Amino acid sequence: MTNQEILKSVSETLREVLGLPDLVVSEETSANDVDEWDSMTHIQLISAIEGKHRVRFALGELQSLKNVGDMVVLIQSKISK
Amino acid sequence: MPFNSYFFIFIFLPVTFCGYFVVNKFQKPKMAKLWMICASLYFYSFFQIKNLPLLCLSILTNFGITSLFHSDLGNLSRKWLLRFGLFFNLSLLGFFKYGDFAIGNFNWLFKTNLDFLQLALPLGISFFTLQQIAFLIDTYEGLNNKKSFLDYTFFVTFFPQLISGPIVKYAQLMPSFEKESNRKINLQNVTLGIFLFCIGLVKKVILSNTFSTWASPGFDESLSLDFLAAWKTSLSYTFQLYFDFSGYTDMAIGIGYLFNFKLPQNFNSPLKSKSVIEFWSRWHMTLSQFITTYVFTPIVRSMPKINFQTTMIATVMAMFISGIWHGAGWTFILYGIFHGLALVVNHVWKKRKRKLPPVLSWFMTFNFINITMVFFRAKDLDDALKVIRGMFGFDGFIIPKIGFKSVGFLKDFGFKIGPYLYPVDYLMILFFILSFFLIHQTKNSLLLEKEIKINGKMGVLCGIGFVLSLFGMNKITEFIYFNF
Repeated sequence: MTNQEILKSVSETLREVLGLPDLVVSEETSANDVDEWDSMTHIQLISAIEGKHRVRFALGELQSLKNVGDMVVLIQSKISK
Repeated sequence: MPFNSYFFIFIFLPVTFCGYFVVNKFQKPKMAKLWMICASLYFYSFFQIKNLPLLCLSILTNFGITSLFHSDLGNLSRKWLLRFGLFFNLSLLGFFKYGDFAIGNFNWLFKTNLDFLQLALPLGISFFTLQQIAFLIDTYEGLNNKKSFLDYTFFVTFFPQLISGPIVKYAQLMPSFEKESNRKINLQNVTLGIFLFCIGLVKKVILSNTFSTWASPGFDESLSLDFLAAWKTSLSYTFQLYFDFSGYTDMAIGIGYLFNFKLPQNFNSPLKSKSVIEFWSRWHMTLSQFITTYVFTPIVRSMPKINFQTTMIATVMAMFISGIWHGAGWTFILYGIFHGLALVVNHVWKKRKRKLPPVLSWFMTFNFINITMVFFRAKDLDDALKVIRGMFGFDGFIIPKIGFKSVGFLKDFGFKIGPYLYPVDYLMILFFILSFFLIHQTKNSLLLEKEIKINGKMGVLCGIGFVLSLFGMNKITEFIYFNF
């Protein structure tokens, strides 16, 4: 899976979880840019991504995710393992 | 030896600073780390030498456990080792912090008469325990490589953050040391460090200490409070706590910069928040991150299904734990539960996508924070209810005379007329106005740290603040978070 494909998949999941079908998502998009993206929706997003990509994030990794780009890189590193 | 003491500022800090960079100059990084560890342990012992063995025991045990994770252990053994590590840390915290609270409640519930342990809370135990729990879990999950004992001890004991945070992660602190350029004095960092330290000192010595003189009598001495006195008491405490803890954090971050370490920020103008959700992303940020990562997320993950309802239940549970982490008492538990429930209301409201005018949102949030802070400060529930009763007007209204007699007609409406305002009352009003101005209109330390270029004018302002603070330091006052 390429980073672009992961980005597309994460963007879809983000739109679904936040309930914002028209949200424009890029690698730079972060919780600071979207009002609906808070600790509550973040955990729902993480859970949805874990289910979709069959990966498991360590707790400490969740803290270091600053934006969508970080998520894509982390998912890629886990899929490649 | 708090940061706001002459000994710390004029002896301990300069000696530690010079020693650290002199040792580094001779290309002895291990010796430099050892120097810093010794300085940090001396700093800790200065407060409570009797608890130094406890700190050492905590470090040794956690280091031992985390080192074992790097040996060839099966999955099951690793799990049991993690459980043991968590049990050890939580037991240590539980025994010293919650022992008497548990005994008191047991005695009350079962009408027994068990003796209290009467143990003084070991300084910084809540902070160094959380920091090590995070390290333990991260190591279990494979996020940390094997560390040397020297590095680990440096990470836990680094004195700017040892007693009251910010709660740092290994990866936030130690890589700075590995960069060789950081082992030399960096004048830009030294200037920024001194600047931030001075801001923190002014917040603590001039603002927080002054507010404490207006907050404490209301909580600790008065038997009942009228409307204005109760609001004076609660608002003073809210500002006292904010300037105290954010001042401490500014000083800690400033000291970190002196040694070329960048500690994470803990505050981002929290009293400007327009919702409780926003407040918790701006207040004691490193604790919020810890609670979200290591408490809230595991609770949510343990739920059979992750949806809005289960995350809300997890939110209240996490805030309950956050409340009791602050102290062993029902007031802290209530503080946590109130905030947990407020977060739920806030999330439900947000989900409905209804917006309030920003001023109203701020007003409601600020008042909620201010009212719940009463529980945070009060010695017990009766004490808290005394202030709350006053704030809602149950113990009467006393209007001060403000230089004219026309307020007399208010007597007919149930108000009492008090004495004329004293100069100190005008000073208090000035401090309230100044504080509201500071929290709304000025750049906070987080922005100053990122954006500011220190020039001559800033230097002069800093110098004035520093000198004024020095005069206020003749009576050393503890930081509030030293008690947690």
